[in-house]
Amino acid sequence: MTIVEMLKDKEHIEERVYEALEKAQKSQKDLNAVVTFIDPKEQLEHLDEVKGGLLEGVPVILKDNVSTKGIKTTASSKILENYVPVYDATIVKKMRDAGAIFIAKSSMDELAMGGTNLTAATGPVRNPHNLECMSGGSSGGSAALVAAGVVPMAIGSDTGDSIRKPASYCGVVGLKPTYGRISRYGIIPYSSSLDHVGCFTRSVKDAAIALEVLAGRDDFDMTSSFEPVEHYIDAVKGDVAGKKVAVLKNVIDAIDNEATMQCFNDVLDGLRTKGAVVEVVEMNEALLKALLPAYYLIANCEATANHSNLDGIRFGNRKDAESSEEIMIKSRTEGFGPLIRKRFVIGSYGLFVENQEKLFRQAQRVRRLIVEEVNRVLSEYDVFVAPASVSGAPKLDDASRDQLSDTYLVAENHMILGNFTGYPSITVPMGLSDGMPVGICLTGSAFKEGELLNIAQAVEDVTGLCDMKVGD
Amino acid sequence: MKYDVVIGIEIHCELKTKHKMFSAGPAAFGQRANTCVNEIDLGHPGTLPSVNKQAVRYAIMASTALNMSIDRLVRFDRKNYYYTDLPKGFQITQQFHPIGSNGYLDIETEDGIKRIRIERLHMEEDTAKQFHLDTQTLIDFNRSGTSLVEIVSLPDMSSGKEAAAYVSKLREILFYLGVSDVKMEEGSMRCDINISLKPEGSEKYGTKVEIKNLNSISNVQKAVDFEIERQSKIYDENGRVAQETRRFDEATQTTVSMRMKEASVDYKYFPEPNIFPILLDSEWVKKIQENLPELPDQRRTRYMNEYGLGSYDANVLISNKELSDFYEEVCKVAKDGKIAANWCISELSGALAKRSETLSSMKLSADHLGALINMILDKEISGKQAKEVFEDVLEGKDPKEVAAAKGMKQVSDTSAILALINQVLDENPQSIADFKNGKSRAVGFLVGQVMKKSKGQANPAMTNQLLTEELKKR
Amino acid sequence: MEEIKDQAYFKELAHRLMFDLSDEEALDIVKEFKTLCSQLELLEAIDTTGVEPMVYPFEAPTVYLRDDEEEHVISQEEALSNAQKVVQGHFSVPKVVK
Repeated sequence: MTIVEMLKDKEHIEERVYEALEKAQKSQKDLNAVVTFIDPKEQLEHLDEVKGGLLEGVPVILKDNVSTKGIKTTASSKILENYVPVYDATIVKKMRDAGAIFIAKSSMDELAMGGTNLTAATGPVRNPHNLECMSGGSSGGSAALVAAGVVPMAIGSDTGDSIRKPASYCGVVGLKPTYGRISRYGIIPYSSSLDHVGCFTRSVKDAAIALEVLAGRDDFDMTSSFEPVEHYIDAVKGDVAGKKVAVLKNVIDAIDNEATMQCFNDVLDGLRTKGAVVEVVEMNEALLKALLPAYYLIANCEATANHSNLDGIRFGNRKDAESSEEIMIKSRTEGFGPLIRKRFVIGSYGLFVENQEKLFRQAQRVRRLIVEEVNRVLSEYDVFVAPASVSGAPKLDDASRDQLSDTYLVAENHMILGNFTGYPSITVPMGLSDGMPVGICLTGSAFKEGELLNIAQAVEDVTGLCDMKVGD
Repeated sequence: MKYDVVIGIEIHCELKTKHKMFSAGPAAFGQRANTCVNEIDLGHPGTLPSVNKQAVRYAIMASTALNMSIDRLVRFDRKNYYYTDLPKGFQITQQFHPIGSNGYLDIETEDGIKRIRIERLHMEEDTAKQFHLDTQTLIDFNRSGTSLVEIVSLPDMSSGKEAAAYVSKLREILFYLGVSDVKMEEGSMRCDINISLKPEGSEKYGTKVEIKNLNSISNVQKAVDFEIERQSKIYDENGRVAQETRRFDEATQTTVSMRMKEASVDYKYFPEPNIFPILLDSEWVKKIQENLPELPDQRRTRYMNEYGLGSYDANVLISNKELSDFYEEVCKVAKDGKIAANWCISELSGALAKRSETLSSMKLSADHLGALINMILDKEISGKQAKEVFEDVLEGKDPKEVAAAKGMKQVSDTSAILALINQVLDENPQSIADFKNGKSRAVGFLVGQVMKKSKGQANPAMTNQLLTEELKKR
Repeated sequence: MEEIKDQAYFKELAHRLMFDLSDEEALDIVKEFKTLCSQLELLEAIDTTGVEPMVYPFEAPTVYLRDDEEEHVISQEEALSNAQKVVQGHFSVPKVVK
């Protein structure tokens, strides 16, 4: 069920919320996507106060890096397994004021640093379309729960492609708006200059509703934008006549999966039929090849500093020891998984005085060149598109996506463009590849979410994959 | 052997903002532990910084007073290290682009004015306070995130006296600007001194030693002087000065080693991604710069020109801003600034010291003290009477009312005094005879009689003069 | 080309970040570091002469500064609610050697 449908029936909110909670509980055995369940009773009692909100009575699930006052927030890391925030993230307040009812916190890659959801402290999340496959990450729990039809909306965060990749694997819409469009206050970070908050929904229209609630300036986040919030729902018409769509040649050239390309080309044909101008555009290949290493450095350099607060002193899992220094070392050694510690080591290496110029700063310089390259394309096109993944979700035992690898260097990592630029980017289901969902990723210009959603709607109209059911 | 000395000083100064540098947590002192904090000050996950406008204003004021250029594009960086008093595991500071740079301060030395160059002034946040007990350390995060400026001089000083003069001058300026409490003993102003020596004529300076924990200006001087002597002795004996951090030990009046300096720590500074560069409005900056409160040097000059004070008196007043401010209020009423200064410096300060009070704890009003001074100048009461009245003025009473109630006034009317004199002379023929016989003591007796008759109100000087004249006539 | 670092190097580096690495983990980093180095060559291959590092996704300077009037404070109970050892309203840790 979509948000749009739910909003038509406000008589059965309570039943619906408890039904969602029950579904979530039942899904645990198969999906393992929930970290913490939230009792909706009190929220339902206060629902009167927020009547008429855009999300009135809509059950919502939060990625477990969204701080919730009084409710455990672990970011799927052992070091935070007992951490209970004393404050709400700004978006939690916004959604609550719009009438949303939170029923669970969802699993994620530890501290959002992964692309598989295999590194969560509570174990891997399975893909509802095939339990032997991964959900993708890092917002895997949220993607899986929306895909399974537990809730129509879940919050995710996206630093490289952490919303858009699992959305592709799970067959749902995943939106990451412009950097600064949604406040990051209260979101446990990965990399501050690349982190975005966004959402999973079962349709593009629902994404528009969700964005309207989530977006807006927040004085608690100095990087949040003063740009006025659009009435996104009105912009979503699926009208692409005369719209210019750029297809990223570098990406499609690197994809050898025929089924995926078939879905992709079908979507492009559909858009052309609707009057869109679809053209293949090539970006500088050397720059695109440098995208992942540049990302890897920037993200991990920032992350190693961002997570220096996790020391067991004031909150989180403290391991007893003789001295304060040993407490920190023991808490951090036992509290972080091996992948996290590996990335911190690399990040710190990149920040050392003797390395910073040629690693971290070089990565930041390359970032500028890549952004300029994207701007060159977007100066002539409304959006650029590419398959969000080469194939459907990999099997659970395939951890290669968390390893630094040269395979599909461009094809599997191009969505980082949306994080480097900060431009709005969305994944929409485009069909099945070998029986598993795959999505198409569309990226537009800064703060033009309305236009992006409008074109995404056209994609959805072409595929007919609104509210995609498992087994479709 | 004679040595050249170079001294550079870093000063950390807590700003008087109501809230913290990067959060709206209250910046209050002396409160119960961990009651002036929020999730940001505790470094909780997901929190983000926001820059305090008043802190920026204060930093601009201080930079301006120190003749620095202002960087209108405000940027912050992270300084990364792990310590229990640093909740985020990094401190937000301005490593790469300090708000103020290239300034100076003139200090007075025995050889005249000396200019001390100031390299930078930057904003940053303070750490938590730790209490080290026998087996545990207790951490209070109330101070965590408090707004600070760090002011770094170039190594332009060469003696303990100069170092003390620099710190004292800087302290006075920051206090007059009202940007900080500058209480060294309470830690709202902290001072780190770098000092190194080289044999006279030699090119290369020796190892730099840092001295911390200097909680008064006199200790600055003592510590530097001791350190110069200590290092000289080591060099004289062909020893090596260790690269270390030392602290001044109050009890022994010496510097003692705190820790060896490791081969420089890499703080992995990088730009703070959570604070976009902030462009300050040039009009706003200009307005702050144009409306700077009067600085001590300006006030000193004004006191000398306007009130005719000598430099000693002017300095005494300026070194105590509360007294100096009060003095100005007194001068709005009092007709003579110099006499007002005398009263403020000696009578008032003495009275306060005797009572262990401060101006703000007393009911005394500046208007009343001004009026009292005018009563002396107008010869309404005598200086001696004024001192008696002053006791009540200190308690907040009006000097006119006090003098009236005590029946004090000074009779300076010649005819009235003459009438009394002649009355007294008529009653004391023996004293006139004594005077004629050369017994000058008789005059004193007669003046006393006149004063008695006038109930103490006759102007004693006039009485003395007129009486002598009248005696000669008889 | 980065100089290849050994296990001991990364263990020491980790220690400075306040955690330990097992032999296996350190070895894993050594291996990944080789991949990283080859990818860094892709990064180094880009000519960035005269290009400023891009620190923020949007670079138009902001003007917002927080007014010093608003206050946001939590209670002592909340402040200490996640602490594992509290003594007289303070966070307690074993004695810190200064």
